Amino acid sequence: MSSESSKKRKPKVIRSDGAPAEGKRNRSDTEQEGKYYSEEAEVDLRDPGRDYELYKYTCQELQRLMAEIQDLKSRGGKDVAVEIEDRRIQSCVHFMTLKKLNRLAHIRLKKGRDQTHEAKQKVDAYHLQLQNLLYEVMHLQKEITKCLEFKSKHEEIDLVSLEEFYKEAPPDISKAEVTMGDPHQQTLARLDWELEQRKRLAEKYRECLSNKEKILKEIEVKKEYLSSLQPRLNSIMQASLPVQEYLFMPFDQAHKQYETARHLPPPLYVLFVQATAYGQACDKTLSVAIEGSVDEAKALFKPPEDSQDDESDSDAEEEQTTKRRRPTLGVQLDDKRKEMLKRHPLSVMLDLKCKDDSVLHLTFYYLMNLNIMTVKAKVTTATELITPISAGDLLSPDSVLSCLYPGDHGKKTPNPANQYQFDKVGILTLRDYVLDLGHPYLWVQKLGGLHFPKEQPQHTVIADHSLSASHMETTMKLLKTRVQSRLALHKQFASLEHGIVPVTSDCQYLFPAKVVSRLVKWVTIAHEDYMELHFTKDIVEAGLAEDTNLYYMALVERGTAKLQAAVVLNPGYSSIPPVFQLCLNWKGEKTNSNDDNIRAMESEVNVCYKELCGPRPSHQLLTNQLQRLCVLLDVYLETDSHDDSVEGPKEFPQEKMCLRLFRGPSRMKPFKYNHPQGFFSHR
Amino acid sequence: MERAVPHAIPLGQMEVFQALQRLHMTIFSQSVSPCGKFLAAGNNYGQIAIFSLSAALSSEAKEESKKPVVTFQAHDGPVYSMVSTDRHLLSAGDGEVKAWLWAEILKKGCKELWRRQPPYRTSLEVPEINALLLVPKENSLILAGGDCQLHTMDLETGAFTRALRGHTDYIHCLALRERSPEVLSGGEDGAVRLWDLRTAKEVQTIEVYKHEECSRPHNGRWIGCLATDSDWMVCGGGPALTLWHLRSSTPTTIFPMRAPQKHVTFYQDLILSAGQGRCVNQWQLSGELKAQVPGSSPGLLSLSLNQQPAAPECKVLTAAGNSCRVDVFTNLGYRAFSLSF
Repeated sequence: MSSESSKKRKPKVIRSDGAPAEGKRNRSDTEQEGKYYSEEAEVDLRDPGRDYELYKYTCQELQRLMAEIQDLKSRGGKDVAVEIEDRRIQSCVHFMTLKKLNRLAHIRLKKGRDQTHEAKQKVDAYHLQLQNLLYEVMHLQKEITKCLEFKSKHEEIDLVSLEEFYKEAPPDISKAEVTMGDPHQQTLARLDWELEQRKRLAEKYRECLSNKEKILKEIEVKKEYLSSLQPRLNSIMQASLPVQEYLFMPFDQAHKQYETARHLPPPLYVLFVQATAYGQACDKTLSVAIEGSVDEAKALFKPPEDSQDDESDSDAEEEQTTKRRRPTLGVQLDDKRKEMLKRHPLSVMLDLKCKDDSVLHLTFYYLMNLNIMTVKAKVTTATELITPISAGDLLSPDSVLSCLYPGDHGKKTPNPANQYQFDKVGILTLRDYVLDLGHPYLWVQKLGGLHFPKEQPQHTVIADHSLSASHMETTMKLLKTRVQSRLALHKQFASLEHGIVPVTSDCQYLFPAKVVSRLVKWVTIAHEDYMELHFTKDIVEAGLAEDTNLYYMALVERGTAKLQAAVVLNPGYSSIPPVFQLCLNWKGEKTNSNDDNIRAMESEVNVCYKELCGPRPSHQLLTNQLQRLCVLLDVYLETDSHDDSVEGPKEFPQEKMCLRLFRGPSRMKPFKYNHPQGFFSHR
Repeated sequence: MERAVPHAIPLGQMEVFQALQRLHMTIFSQSVSPCGKFLAAGNNYGQIAIFSLSAALSSEAKEESKKPVVTFQAHDGPVYSMVSTDRHLLSAGDGEVKAWLWAEILKKGCKELWRRQPPYRTSLEVPEINALLLVPKENSLILAGGDCQLHTMDLETGAFTRALRGHTDYIHCLALRERSPEVLSGGEDGAVRLWDLRTAKEVQTIEVYKHEECSRPHNGRWIGCLATDSDWMVCGGGPALTLWHLRSSTPTTIFPMRAPQKHVTFYQDLILSAGQGRCVNQWQLSGELKAQVPGSSPGLLSLSLNQQPAAPECKVLTAAGNSCRVDVFTNLGYRAFSLSF
């Protein structure tokens, strides 16, 4: 078609259909040397806007011509073909124009694209360059910072200060002229000086080490010398023993004791020192000794390295035994308890000798974890004692020292801090363990210098010598009195169980010559039984019947009359009197609640006890009270007013001499015995 | 019950002794002060304690208000009888009468104003004085006790004017018959004797134990308490508590009380009695028991009605006996609280 022919004429026009264009190009090359028609140059010359106008005009013309052709064709006629042909030629021309314009447009487009592409490539190249440069800048900056941050090892060394440096350093190192100006040189110089100093000090160190070695060797030599001296001194001491004995100066023995005393825990040590001092100064009957294993005591204070070795060994052992069953919780708790209640291996033993050759042996222990002291007591007599049944508790180790001071029953721990320790291992009270461990009486703590004030609980209570000293004398005296009164009671009980009231000759004046009522029974009763009796309610309510007391029942008889007497024996006998409560069974049951005279009899024995004490140390109190009870029963029975309505004589004829039978609004009988006249009167 | 709680503090020798003393204490006599605000109580140790009734009865009363304001040793022996005049407290014990000024008595270290001892026949044993009686018309005091006589003492001069003899055994109690004036005395010999004070002679004798209705031989024949209301007399002791018509000497009502009574008194239209046994008994004149009010002591020995007009708020009945406590009854129906030595 015509378009293709124009294509042939313009081979330079690059079209999208490939091969034929190339062929054309080859031909255009040959034509190039002749005249060539560069549409590309033409594009530059022409104005696109005008081309656009031309395009629009050409399109319009074409449309017009097509319309005219349409008209002519529809009209028909002869001229029509010529007209149509004319218009066809015009439209072909227009088509040509359009094609040219199209080519020009394409060329323009291509040129524009090429230009854009070039520019873009340039920009890209620049961009890459920029990136490269930036990257390098960054790299360089990093390097710079690294360099700036670089700390040379020399800055870690504490150099001596500048002034010192200039003062001390020799001039060939400090080189003041050079270094003053130049900090680099200055630092170098300082480092030099540092090195110099260190070298010197290392030298000194080596010298000192060698000195030390020398001295150590010398010490070794001297030690050996001393240790060789020790056995020689020992042999001299041994040799002097006979001399000591001959002169009655057992220094050696005392020395040994003091040796072991050094290993005692502080409270026991205080006790030991104070007791020995007291024994030497005031009381020759007191002797003090230390018992127990010193090695175990020393073992308590092993140095820590040894224990670490032990730990590593035990770890190894444990790994082997993990296969075996672990101990149960109960056993673990038990072990913990045992640990808490552990005693110090050493104990102090005090022996108190009394006048009748009986000895009170006291052994004092220290419970380390609880910081309290306990005591175990034992009484031995010169002759073998046959214990009467009722005297079982009198000298038993458990109760012989109970309530030495009022209220000091020794069943509770005196250290309030122990309660928290007990809670951890489930111990309710120390009472369960006292048989084993001994009693923690308050006076024992005081003798060991331990003071547990209730108002201000202290964290650690330390043993105090002055506290121990102030209590020593009183306590020792109380202990002796206690033992002797118990022994006296012991003997008396033996007699009472046989129905004989043992009245000593120096107390005989308190009673009339003839006493008819007899003691027929003397037994111990339990605390609970005492509380259950119907005639002891007043004593219980007055708080005089504690569980630390001992209780007995005596039965006095005369004819058909039976008098029961419930006795409360306070551990503090005989300074605290026994208390009697009576119940008479004769013509009915009479107690202090229904018979004023029974009340008066109780009063005679309980309240007027001071006259029955007998000579000091008033061990006769109980027996005198019992004898008086028999006398009172005699008086009561004999002075009973005769009932006229009842036939028969009185059961008990009056034998006592009385001034008056009744006195006062309560019609009291004459219970007071007057010595030496021997008659009865009223108080 | 206001019993002491068992002690938590350990008891040393002194505390044990004091506790024993209190347990065995017997209060024999009481007397109200003329102002009505204080009560004096005398015990078997010879001590007299003064309690402040007004403090114990007030609304802010604490435990200390029930303790004595002051306690002092008045006599060597028991204080069996006390009586108050309008200024003095007269106490009698072992054979002598002592007088104390009520105004001074609350101060510490109070000393007796005077002490008198009636002339006794025997000197071997000092007889006790069991009863004191004031005769306001004559301004004299009558004492009776262990020597079986009634002695009259003039309060102004302190001289002993008469000695009335007649009893064969010691005298327990006295009562005054205002109108005549006559004195009634009851004694261990079982007889109630009436004495005319002007003629100093025994006017009437009632031997209670000889009357079968009231005699109780197993208790004995002793007359422990007496009270009189002009024509009537009530007495008790070994024999049963009986109401007598004096002019005819006949027992009109016998009160069915088994325990011997130690104190009896007329009060309004009732008869109050107390004795062995815890209770204060209230009787109608017909012989019916109106009420029995328990006290805190196992046996009562004295009753005291505070009827002083000066202190109507302290109008109480107090009872004391075989214990260290004095029971206070604000209302006759129940025991309000107890004062304690």
